[in-house]
Amino acid sequence: MAHLAHYREAHPLPFIITHWVNLICMVLLAFTGFYIHYPFFGGFMGIARGVHIFCAFVILANLVFRVVAAFFIKSAPTGGTREVDYDWKAFAPQKDNRHQLGAWIKYYLFMSKTHPLGGKYGVPQKLAYLAIPFLLIIVAFTGFCIWAPTSAVGPFGAFNHLVGGVVVTRIVHYFMMWVFILFTMLHGYLALIEGLAPAKLMFGRKEHGGLVYDTKAHNIVGEDDLHSQGSAD
Amino acid sequence: MTYEKTRLSGFDTMLEKRGVSRRRFLEFCGALAVTLGLSEAMVPSIKQAIADTAIGKASGALTPVIWLELASCTGCTESFAQVDTPDVATVVLELISLNYSETLSAGAGFSLEEAKEETIQNGGYITVIEGALMEGWDGNALRIANEKGTEIVLHAASNTAAIICAGSCAVDGGWQAAVPNPGGATGIEPFLKAELAAGNFTYTGGEGDLPPIINVPSCPANPEHLVAVIVDVLLLGRVPQLNEYNMPSLIFGEYIHDNCPRRGHFENGEFVYQFGSEQEKLGYCLYPMGCKGPQTKSNCPIVRWNRRVSWCVESGAPCAGCAQANPEKAGFNWVDLNTPFLKRFKNLRIGDIVFQPATLAAAVGGIVVIALVAHGFGMKATGRTKGGAPFELERAWDRKHPDQATGAAEAAAEAARVQGLPLPDDEQAGGADNLSTEDDVPTSADEGPASVDDVSTSTDDAPTNENSAENDAPTTETTAENEAPAEGGEE
Repeated sequence: MAHLAHYREAHPLPFIITHWVNLICMVLLAFTGFYIHYPFFGGFMGIARGVHIFCAFVILANLVFRVVAAFFIKSAPTGGTREVDYDWKAFAPQKDNRHQLGAWIKYYLFMSKTHPLGGKYGVPQKLAYLAIPFLLIIVAFTGFCIWAPTSAVGPFGAFNHLVGGVVVTRIVHYFMMWVFILFTMLHGYLALIEGLAPAKLMFGRKEHGGLVYDTKAHNIVGEDDLHSQGSAD
Repeated sequence: MTYEKTRLSGFDTMLEKRGVSRRRFLEFCGALAVTLGLSEAMVPSIKQAIADTAIGKASGALTPVIWLELASCTGCTESFAQVDTPDVATVVLELISLNYSETLSAGAGFSLEEAKEETIQNGGYITVIEGALMEGWDGNALRIANEKGTEIVLHAASNTAAIICAGSCAVDGGWQAAVPNPGGATGIEPFLKAELAAGNFTYTGGEGDLPPIINVPSCPANPEHLVAVIVDVLLLGRVPQLNEYNMPSLIFGEYIHDNCPRRGHFENGEFVYQFGSEQEKLGYCLYPMGCKGPQTKSNCPIVRWNRRVSWCVESGAPCAGCAQANPEKAGFNWVDLNTPFLKRFKNLRIGDIVFQPATLAAAVGGIVVIALVAHGFGMKATGRTKGGAPFELERAWDRKHPDQATGAAEAAAEAARVQGLPLPDDEQAGGADNLSTEDDVPTSADEGPASVDDVSTSTDDAPTNENSAENDAPTTETTAENEAPAEGGEE
C-alpha cells in the first residue's frame, strides 16, 4: 500500500460535480467539433452545432464557478489527510511541493525508485491544472472568433484581423482542441496507471485506505486502512 | 418638376434606343440601391444621377477612367465586358469615358499611351486596376509599353481621384502571389503604402497621402460589384463605406454561407461527399467537398453572376473563396488560404514541407499514445501499477539542505517506519540523530496494532515530531526542540 489514503476531503462534492461537467462537456465538444470540422455521417449538423455552442457556454460557466468556489470551499491541501483549508491553497505554491519538480521528472522517467512527496497535486500536475483555465479561455475565445454571430465583434474581430482571417483562427481553434485531447490522454493515463483508487474517489466518492500524511510535518506519518480507523472513532 | 420630367423623357428615349424598358431601368436602379446598401428612397437619386450623366454624355462632360491592366488573365475585363443582350448595366458603363484600356480601347500603341498621359496630366480621373503588380527583378517582371509596371502604377496613382482595384490580383496579388511567387506579385494598396513609406510616392490628386483605394476582390471581379462601385464613386460622388480591408462593407460584409441557398441542407446534415453522387443530384450542401462559403465574405448568393443567372455554389461547385484577399499581409491571398480547394482545411507549410493541420495533430496524438503505452509497460515492469512506487522518505533537496528542510527529520524516520523501509545509507551518514532513530524502526514495526494507534493519535492533530520525541532517545528530543520554533515560524 504505497499510495496515500484517498479521503473525500480531497475532492468535496461541488468539485466532483464540476469535474463531471468538465468531462461531459469536453467529450461532447470534441466529438461535435470533429463533426463540424468534417461531417463524417449525415443528418447531425444542426444538432452538432447546437450541442457544441451549448456545451461551450456550460463549460465557461463551470470554469467561473470552479474558480470562484476555490475561494469559498475547503478541501484537503494534500492527499492522505482529512484536514481541510481553502481549496485555492492547493493550487498555490505549497511547502509540500518545494524543490520537487526534479523529483517528479525523475520519477516519471524511471530515474528514481521512490514516489516523490508532495501536496494534493504534484508539481507537474499542478502546473498542468493551472494552465487549464487559460487554455479554456483561449479555446473559447477562438471559438467565438469563428462563430458567425460574434466573429466580427470587438476583440474577436480584432483577433481574426490580426491572424489573417477566420481560415487561420479555425486552425488555431482546431489545434487548441488537440491540446485538450492530449491533456485528457495524459491526465487519464496518470490518474489510472497507479490503480483505480483516485478515479473511484473522483467519480464515485469512494474512499480508499492508504498512508496518512501530516500537513505540518510535510511527510507520511502513518497508515489508515479505513476499517481500524472506523473502530477507533 | 416639369424640367425634370422633360430631361427624363429625353433619357427614356436613350433607353429605348438600346432596347431597355423604363421598367427594367427602375428595377436596375433598385437593385443598385440594394447592392450599395442604400434605402429604396435613394432610387430616384440614382435614377437622376444616371440620367444626368447620360445627358452629360451628350455634351461630352464624362468622368475619365483609365483601366490599367497589369499581370492578369484579362478575366476581369472579360467579366466586365461580357454583353449578351443590350443590358441596363451597359448603359451605365457607357457613362464613363474609358480613355485607356488595352483590351477595350479602339486605339492602340503610341496614340493610346499619349491619351493616358494626357488624362493623368489633367487629373480628376478614376483609375481601375486589373491584375497583380510584379515587383520581381527590380520591377522588370512586368513591362508595358517599355515601362516598368511599378512606374506606371506610381505615375497613374499620383494624380488620380480614386483607385478601384478590380479583382483579387489587384487587391493583394491574388493567385499570382501564391507560393512560390517568383515574379514578386503584390497588390496595389500594399505597394503604394510601401512606396509612400519609402518616400517614393507623392499624391497630388486630392487630400491625404494616398488616393482613396476601393478593393473589389473576387476572381474575376463580379461586374455587378464593379458597376455598383462605379455608380457610387462616379455618379453619387462618394466613396462607399469600406471595411478594414478597404472593401465595400455591404458587398463583402456577410459570409456566403449565411445567404447560401443550400444552407438548409447544411443544417439538416445533408451533404455531398462525392461528385457524381445521388446527393449531388439532390443539390445537397457542398461543405465536405471543401466549400469555402463559411469563411468567405461576399454577397455572391444574392447578386449572383453572369447577369444574375447563377453562381458557383448554385451551379454545383464548392466555393473556392476567391473573394478572400488581404492587402495588409503578404501570403494571405485566396489561393494560399484555400488550397487544396476540395479539403476543409488549408495546407500548412514549413519550408518546402506541406501538410494538413489534421495530419499534424493526428501524428502528435499518435506519438503521445505510443509514448504512454511504452510508459505504461515501464510502470508495469517496475511494479508501480498497484499504488505506485514507495514514497521517498525525505525530499531529495531536504537531504542535501538539512538546515532548510521542508519536513522534520523525524517525520522521515516515521515515514520509513510506516512503510517498513530502511533509511537510505546517506541518511545514516547524516549523524548520530538519524542512527538512533533508525534503531527504533524494527521495534515500532513489530508493534503492528500500536502503529495504527499512533496514527490515530497523530491524525488528532498531535504534531508528529512531538510524538516521536516521546518515544525516542533524548538526542532526538533535542532536535525536535530545535526545530519546533522553526516550524512555528513556517505556519
